[in-house]
Amino acid sequence: MPMYGDLGNKLVIHAKRTQGLAHLPPYQTELVRAVTREVRDLNRDVESLLEPFQGSFDPTQDHATACTLLVNHLSMRRNKRCLLAYHRTRTDKLEEMVWNGVDVADLAGPQAGGGRGNGPGGAADGGSSSGSNLSPQEEDYVRQYSDLLAAYKGQWTDIDLTGSLEPPRDLFIDVRVLKDAGEIQTEYGAINLTKNSQFYVRQGDVERLIQQGYLQKLG
Amino acid sequence: MDIDDILQEVDPTVYRIPQEKRDLQELTRAWIAERSAPELLPWPPNDLFERINAAIKRQIERVEELTGDMDPKSNFALIVIQTELERYKYLVRSYLRARLAKIDRHTLHYLSSDALRARMSDIELAYATRHQALLHNHYLSSFLSSFPPNLQNLNDAVGGISMIETPDLDTAVIIRLLKDSFVEGRGVDSDGALQMKEGDIVILRWADAKPLVEAGKAELV
Amino acid sequence: MSYYDIDAILTDAEKIPCTFQLDIPDLGYLDNAPDRPLKAGTKVNLPFWLAEMLAIANAGDVDGKQYITFDLPPALSNDVVQALKADPRSVPLRDQSAHFYALATRMMELSDEPELASVLRKTFVTRASEIALHARKVGGVGHSKGKGSEEGSNLGIGGAGEEFLRGLDEWERKLFRKAHDGAKATKEWMETIKRH
Repeated sequence: MPMYGDLGNKLVIHAKRTQGLAHLPPYQTELVRAVTREVRDLNRDVESLLEPFQGSFDPTQDHATACTLLVNHLSMRRNKRCLLAYHRTRTDKLEEMVWNGVDVADLAGPQAGGGRGNGPGGAADGGSSSGSNLSPQEEDYVRQYSDLLAAYKGQWTDIDLTGSLEPPRDLFIDVRVLKDAGEIQTEYGAINLTKNSQFYVRQGDVERLIQQGYLQKLG
Repeated sequence: MDIDDILQEVDPTVYRIPQEKRDLQELTRAWIAERSAPELLPWPPNDLFERINAAIKRQIERVEELTGDMDPKSNFALIVIQTELERYKYLVRSYLRARLAKIDRHTLHYLSSDALRARMSDIELAYATRHQALLHNHYLSSFLSSFPPNLQNLNDAVGGISMIETPDLDTAVIIRLLKDSFVEGRGVDSDGALQMKEGDIVILRWADAKPLVEAGKAELV
Repeated sequence: MSYYDIDAILTDAEKIPCTFQLDIPDLGYLDNAPDRPLKAGTKVNLPFWLAEMLAIANAGDVDGKQYITFDLPPALSNDVVQALKADPRSVPLRDQSAHFYALATRMMELSDEPELASVLRKTFVTRASEIALHARKVGGVGHSKGKGSEEGSNLGIGGAGEEFLRGLDEWERKLFRKAHDGAKATKEWMETIKRH
């Protein structure tokens, strides 16, 4: 027999799986709705249990009722934690996508292969009515977060905040010419690449020549 | 030849070297510390970032001016400035992102007291406040608004666990002593204390290192 | 412990054997019988998040009556502890619980288990060094599967090594990934140094 909290746990298992995926799987509309309903039902039980006492319930006089109330309270809190963690896992992922420059319109649209590998309980995958993997609320969230990030980035226009977090490599490197390669044009003028000569050049200008074996990078 | 000498030669009036060099050092130090410390460190005082921003702007302008100039001397200066500029931008970007990652992870914590809020820049504070509001709204519109009112909070601590997550101050860090100091650290089984000298390097919990760093007796490496 | 942490939430879903100490009319559903009262003495497996609070809730009450008493879950049973004592590396912890260490830690917050604590400490240290060995190997030799006969551990990747890695719990998996990434980064760094 299913217990209070079991459905919430299903949500968290979904969240765990989501953490390991590159894409965002469909929002569990039905599960979220069911867990939320459970909270409301539990709360109604609590109210009806307390009603006869008219606000003067004394837990030390009625252990059985106190225990039932405690179980109900804990179940509600558990469901709340599951719901929050599930939604938070997804907004974390959405934010990461926004940082990576994924187009908001692309996210909102239907995603190819988005429903792959739903595993057990896959039949409960509702998705949202529009066919997107995002709930309408998530679509709003992505738009608002994109605006927020744009505003923040706008304060640092010269930095390109979403740029690479790899430390910059040396822009310029020493190379030795292994084979005559003729003249190449660089941003700083023409260089004549004759065998055994050495140059200090922009890495970007000669990367292909290195790959092709004309030049050797010197340490 | 030093980079500064070249910059000096290119334009002696714009590059007031001592200040700019100090700013770069300060930025580098702040960057290293921020990436090592498990919690958000105070935003650097005295308009450091205003000056850094201005310096980056000046360098970008110089690059634009020098590009297309075929004089070999300015070519070399261009190379140097471009390399410097890329490094500068990387430092600032990496620093800001490290801070933002911490703020995003424990937003409610950093918004929870005036002292903690004061660690953020105005821009960061605005970002954190808005981000938290967006999240709260998202939870409300997705499910939370149909909860009983006493269950709608995001900041209570019922049932032995606080909803406000905090950084783990027991994370290990590495510090270098800047002054001879008495270093105390808590261990798993026993605690330790040592008299250490300037230049010594120690690994210990951030909670134990923090007072030394704040007193200027040690720096994070 | 962190409120939003998915692994912490899943750990708290692990079931603990509990015995009710009171008749509770409305909780029959916990014992699959919603129409009958739950009798004192009934044994029920409850998730940790429920068992924990029920176990400590009434401790300070006047008549000292508790709602439930509890036992260690099967994952931490005497059989498992004995097997760990014999050889920590031979027990696939994952089969006991995907959150084996986290569960053990939670249980030990609830009751004093000095023997369990000392066995688990030894277990962790022994297994962690084995994990580090595997992580270095995978990071070092790339993914040359089936060729795990390099010196060092006699457990190659493939065979016993694969079985050991499969049996890691979530915490150990994190450790393995970190050690692996570290080994890989070191190797890459060494290579860039060599190139210069």
